[in-house]
Amino acid sequence: MLDKKTSDQIVADLTSHIKLSMGFKVWMAFLSVSLLVCLYAYFLQLRDGMIVTGLGDYVSWGMYLANFVFFVATSLIGMLISAVLSLLNQKWAAPLARIAEIIALAFAAVAGLVIIMDMGHPERLLNVFIHGRIQSPIVWDVTVVTIYVLISALFLYIPLLPDLKICSEKLTNIPPFARKIYTLLSLNWSGTTEQKNLIKKSTGALSIFIIPVALAIHTVTSWLFANTSRAGWDSTIFGPYFVIGAFVAGTAAVVVAMFVFRKAFNLEEYITDFHFDKIGKLLVLVSLLYLYFNINEYMVPAYKMKHADAFHIQTLFTGSYAPLFWATQILGLILPIILLILKPMRKPLPLLIISIFVILGAWFKRYIIVVPTMEHPFLPVQNVPINFKVYSPTLIEIGVTIAPMIMAVLIITILSKVIPVIPIHETLEHRNEQEK
Amino acid sequence: MTTNQKYNQFIAFLIFSFVINASLSSRNWKAPDDQKDKNSYIKFDASTAAQGEAIYNANCASCHGNPGKNNALKSLNPIPPDLSSTASQSLTDGELIYILNNGAGLMPSFKNSLGEEKEWMVISYLRGFNKNYIQELSKFDPAKSKLVKLVSSFDKASNSIIVNATADEKNGKIAIVGAEISVFVKRYFGNFQIEKALKTDASGLAKFSFPTDLPGNKNGDLEVLVKLYDENYGEVQVTKTYSIGVPTDKPGLNEDRAIWNTLVKAPLWIIGLYATGLISFLLLLAFLLNNLRGIFNSKV
Ligand code: HEC
Repeated sequence: MLDKKTSDQIVADLTSHIKLSMGFKVWMAFLSVSLLVCLYAYFLQLRDGMIVTGLGDYVSWGMYLANFVFFVATSLIGMLISAVLSLLNQKWAAPLARIAEIIALAFAAVAGLVIIMDMGHPERLLNVFIHGRIQSPIVWDVTVVTIYVLISALFLYIPLLPDLKICSEKLTNIPPFARKIYTLLSLNWSGTTEQKNLIKKSTGALSIFIIPVALAIHTVTSWLFANTSRAGWDSTIFGPYFVIGAFVAGTAAVVVAMFVFRKAFNLEEYITDFHFDKIGKLLVLVSLLYLYFNINEYMVPAYKMKHADAFHIQTLFTGSYAPLFWATQILGLILPIILLILKPMRKPLPLLIISIFVILGAWFKRYIIVVPTMEHPFLPVQNVPINFKVYSPTLIEIGVTIAPMIMAVLIITILSKVIPVIPIHETLEHRNEQEK
Repeated sequence: MTTNQKYNQFIAFLIFSFVINASLSSRNWKAPDDQKDKNSYIKFDASTAAQGEAIYNANCASCHGNPGKNNALKSLNPIPPDLSSTASQSLTDGELIYILNNGAGLMPSFKNSLGEEKEWMVISYLRGFNKNYIQELSKFDPAKSKLVKLVSSFDKASNSIIVNATADEKNGKIAIVGAEISVFVKRYFGNFQIEKALKTDASGLAKFSFPTDLPGNKNGDLEVLVKLYDENYGEVQVTKTYSIGVPTDKPGLNEDRAIWNTLVKAPLWIIGLYATGLISFLLLLAFLLNNLRGIFNSKV
């Protein structure tokens, strides 16, 4: 289909979304207003302290930490699609690589903020740098998240150089200063063999290096839990369990982004049903793996029923958390797997709907991992009011939780307005290869 | 009156007297009669009360709460009473010092951790909540304790500590007979008592057989604390160091490199691992930046 188009047409198609449209302005206004409302909630938390949240001595992590894990998880998709699939020579994923990187960068950058928003005294973050001990998983977490954000930014930027040059040359309808910025950022790109080689070497190194880093950030995040001996966290498979769960959330996020970009930017010829079918299959694959990890993660303690574990498992399976637990497992994992095995369900619209359920399931799954465990400390709970024992988030807390989500969407929206979401240079090269 | 009525009356009487009885003796501890009248040799004043308050907050408030605030630890059985209450204030000074020395049920003894002087100070603080309280001082003269000579020595043959208690009275040195002697070894927290308390014999001596397996410092030094309590001479204590412990030279738990230690004492493997990760990243960064420079400088 693409081979009927001239290069100029392709460039025009893929850069057409880089402009300030009415829809964009309305969407940005909506996001900004919502963000302001949520930031007001954060202001209240800063002013009055953590007392405005439902957090207490027992459940001190609550929704915020669930949110943090969700953000780190979603950001892992950059590594899966841009690095792993490209190293495995999965050509179909190439047009999606940039979308995945944009999501990765946005979510990883905001993940750090989520942690800071969880702190009653955000300025005390400095203590991690002043008094941090490298024996502590918190320090590893801060280190790897920072490294992952930097690497994701470079992984987005370096393959983008040729496209920046194209933008500076072909985008005639944007203000001159914007074109200047594109020229500047494109680092004198002129497509010499030397330059192409350097890009190839750099992305090669990045694709390899990003894999251990991405594994590290989510494994370390899982260690924040698994390195303690509490029921529900004390598990040896938490690292891989989190990583696979991350692929599920991230793949679903990419599907949503694909769908929206395709509709909003008229990219139907570039993101086709074929791509949806393929990524739908990827989603089944990672979901099946995640199901396997889930079975293992709950089966082993449920078989042994050690005292504290038994209490925890019963709360999840039949107790107060049962409705949420089964809803996430069935609506967010099992049903999507069954449906996605059917080919018609991997068409764009059904896949979008399924992916939204998967994302919701992924968020609540993190909640189920963080909160119930904290409600059952090993030491007896004595002489405390009921709201210490049973966690229920407040409205302010929910606002503070939504703020980072809006920020991530904002970053994705802005990035998609200033850079081509489908790699132009690679699309052209790919077409030229096919012509030969 | 029918027999039935009589019977009912009898039951009512039983129940009534039981209730009265229970309310009179709801305490499940009782000071022996000869201890009830014991009085403090320290005069209670603002200064002793202030010192007592600090001791109370550190040792008692966790269970009893603050006097008059009704914030005792309710999960204990019985609930520790509010010590400013009329019921507790109706106890004599002798009864108060008795329960502090001996404990009762869940309430621990403070005899060894506080000692009599500090116990009186707490009582001085507690009496501040009782407007009607008038202190009766003990006839005991604290100056008398200055006369006491308490000497301990270690007898190798029998492996025991021998304590000799004498007093330098005006009419010469006399043995203190029947005084209560306790021997302790100091440890990180509190004291470790050797055997039980003994009474001095007719020549003022008491003999405590000493365990052979107590860990000392590098040289086997142990700090031995000897306490004397006597009606007449009050409380006297002396400490002395003996090299009779098992020499132990273990580094403190925080002296070696360990996960739980400070940054400078982190285990080498973790420093290595962390540094390797960081350095690899910096190398990659240098490589990438150099490539970007190459792209920037590339000529067509
Ligand atoms: C471990 C908890 C605990 C601590 C610590 C404790 N107590 Fe008590 N105390 C109790 C309990 C329980 C009782 C009730 C004993 C009973 O009746 O069996 C009690 C009883 C008493 C009584 C008797 C009151 C009455 O009306 O019968 C006095 C006096 C007293 N405590 C003083 C003190 C002082 C002074 C301290 C600190 C030096 C102290 N306690 C520390 C638990 C504690």
